[in-house]
Amino acid sequence: MKNKRLLIVTAVTCLALMLAVLPAISACGPKEPTLKIGIMTPSTGPAAEKGAPMGHANLDCIQYINDELGGVGGYKIEAVWLDSKYDANQVVTNVKKFMDKDCLLFGTASSKEMSAAMEIANRAEFPGLVCFNAPVLHRPPQHIYGQMTDYGDDWTAFARYYMENIWKGPGKPKMALHLLNNTTGYGARDAAKAAADELGIDIISVDEHKADTTSEMDSLTRIKASNPDVLYISSTPAPTALIIKNAVDLGLYPGITIGLGHASITKALVDIAGADVVEGVYGVFPTVNWGDNVPGMAKMTEYCQKLHPDDYGNMDYITSWAQSLIMAEIVRLAVTNVGYEVLDKGGVEAWRAVEKYGIQKLNYDVEGLHGPVSYTPGDNRLAKSLRIFQIQKGAIAPVTDWIEAPLVKYEEFDWFGK
Amino acid sequence: MSLPSGTRNYTYAQDMAILRTKTHWALFAGFLVLLLAAPLYLGGYWLGVMNLIGITLIAATGLNLLIGYCGQLSIGHAGFIAVGAYTSAVLTNRFELPFLVGLLCAGLMAGLIGIIFGLPSVRVKGFYLAITTIAAQFIIIWVINHWSFTGGFVGIKVPYASIAGFEFRSEASQFYLIMSITALGTFFAKNLARTKVGRAFIAVRDNDLSAEVMGINLLYYKLLAFFIGCFMAGIAGSLLAHWIGYLNAEQFSLTESILYIGMIIIGGLGTAIGPIFGVVFIRLLQQVLTVILVPFLESTVTALPSGFATGVTPMLFGLVIVLFLILEPRGLAHRWALFKSAYRLWPFSY
Repeated sequence: MKNKRLLIVTAVTCLALMLAVLPAISACGPKEPTLKIGIMTPSTGPAAEKGAPMGHANLDCIQYINDELGGVGGYKIEAVWLDSKYDANQVVTNVKKFMDKDCLLFGTASSKEMSAAMEIANRAEFPGLVCFNAPVLHRPPQHIYGQMTDYGDDWTAFARYYMENIWKGPGKPKMALHLLNNTTGYGARDAAKAAADELGIDIISVDEHKADTTSEMDSLTRIKASNPDVLYISSTPAPTALIIKNAVDLGLYPGITIGLGHASITKALVDIAGADVVEGVYGVFPTVNWGDNVPGMAKMTEYCQKLHPDDYGNMDYITSWAQSLIMAEIVRLAVTNVGYEVLDKGGVEAWRAVEKYGIQKLNYDVEGLHGPVSYTPGDNRLAKSLRIFQIQKGAIAPVTDWIEAPLVKYEEFDWFGK
Repeated sequence: MSLPSGTRNYTYAQDMAILRTKTHWALFAGFLVLLLAAPLYLGGYWLGVMNLIGITLIAATGLNLLIGYCGQLSIGHAGFIAVGAYTSAVLTNRFELPFLVGLLCAGLMAGLIGIIFGLPSVRVKGFYLAITTIAAQFIIIWVINHWSFTGGFVGIKVPYASIAGFEFRSEASQFYLIMSITALGTFFAKNLARTKVGRAFIAVRDNDLSAEVMGINLLYYKLLAFFIGCFMAGIAGSLLAHWIGYLNAEQFSLTESILYIGMIIIGGLGTAIGPIFGVVFIRLLQQVLTVILVPFLESTVTALPSGFATGVTPMLFGLVIVLFLILEPRGLAHRWALFKSAYRLWPFSY
């Protein structure tokens, strides 16, 4: 009995000591001064076809910056990368991990991830940068910034292009919307609500689909019966491919114009649907294309082909490579303007410094990989231009130069967010 | 309760005591000290994980009462959690009602919706009942997505939880709030199982025909199980909403509902301690694989093909669960009972 009690006391004491000492042990060892940034991608789960190459690009770019440029401002960048699994609970714990690790800012790939993360980040004043952006993430502006234009801007840009270059008929063209049932789709819906009348477009139907949809024959049959001139899809590649395939099966396409938001149009779409199925489809994308003659193309191509050759040709890779470049530029500006000591303290003080002296001082051309990024008070979209592309013989080719996307103050509409 | 050799119960109070011996009390006190001191030695991330575990535990305990004790299979638990989360969010955001009102109403609303979807349990059971509860999952999420009051697909912001003017802003303060409610929920479930209601639940689970012959009102007890199980889901949903601060229906997927069932099976169905083991095991496994193992493998084992470690995680997660079910189908609670028996007899083998 005595031995037993002794055993219990020893066990409890050991456990308590272990728990108390663990953080101290993990903090031991020489600490190389670095600038930490958090990166989250849905590398597994239902959006992995986009998330995996995006995660590769983020980390490849950080490797390039550290190996070839020696980091930024004299400090190496330490990327804390986590898979979100496209799962809200995982996103929440990931953001807390970033804050715990004293990351200076964090980036997410998708609008869904950021919608789960934004309130925690906004509450803590922890700045975040989202690749694929939706109006609800940055309207009204707080601490979340859009790397690129948002899904609403996609719709507006495509609608303008359609009216000026494609629509030749009398009266208003009839447009059907097919939207992913989250911020990706609803960004386009909000823009259509705000600007369709002004552009002279008649929105005849708004259909929703899920990320794991297996058939959209029903919704497309309804759409076909209403005789549309144009179908606009704002979704991710897999459901977009399915919708276009179904449209082809129903004889709806070719015969109408199909336009895609920027989360839909990527190499994965062509791979999944097949080049012949998506031939002629238009899409909006805020980056350049592979092989374009811009300063950043050579290094990105070199690293992609060296480290992740399967991702070559995927425009999502460009997006996330550019995201890492922008994040690096933000911390470079911050460390230059306020010094490493302020950033090294971590917490709110460092985050405020990054936001005020990094993000809000940005004026960067992203090595030509997408529209230049800068901050305009009241507008948390850092890049404000995009281009229209068309799928031609399996390749995604630009058909316009950069188009400016004006700011829409969605919060001034009483329907916004409802 | 199994007691150490030489320990006898002489009163009803002793017989009913959850903590019976000094060793029990000492271990419990040590556990409490470790738990309450957690904000001192855990960072924000691990506190966040603890909060997620606490919230999940409340919901899993409710599901264990429903499935483990009463035998009513439900595959729509995430839907009921969503009802609680959105009830609390709407009441505190749109009507600016106090958090405690939102919390209580979240439980009640989820409980009432649970009763509605539990009604078929009077006529059907087993897989048939499971199908009706899957319907609950889809119907609830559809309503949330298409009702402007809940923010639809865009979602809804949720303010910080606050009681008597104190806002639970920090992770540590949220930890104490969540753990207090988790402890209450677990204590409630443990005691409920030992009451007339708990025994009625078990009778219904073991053989509902015999239970009815013995005078147990099947309709009443089955619906009561749905109400209590869903009430706890609603409470968990409310805490989740105020913890995350932003709700979107995608947070309450069918996968999450199935995961809840996995948790209580792995922990041990029909035991009070089972959900604790199951929830801690699954939530920690998720975190260890995603946050520790994958980044470690991706950065250090460069010989692996690109993305291999990330891709292998879901397989590893599934494999661990499958192996677990094969090797210990009665759950971790059974393993814990074996350990306690062995410890009680130690150093003798019998």
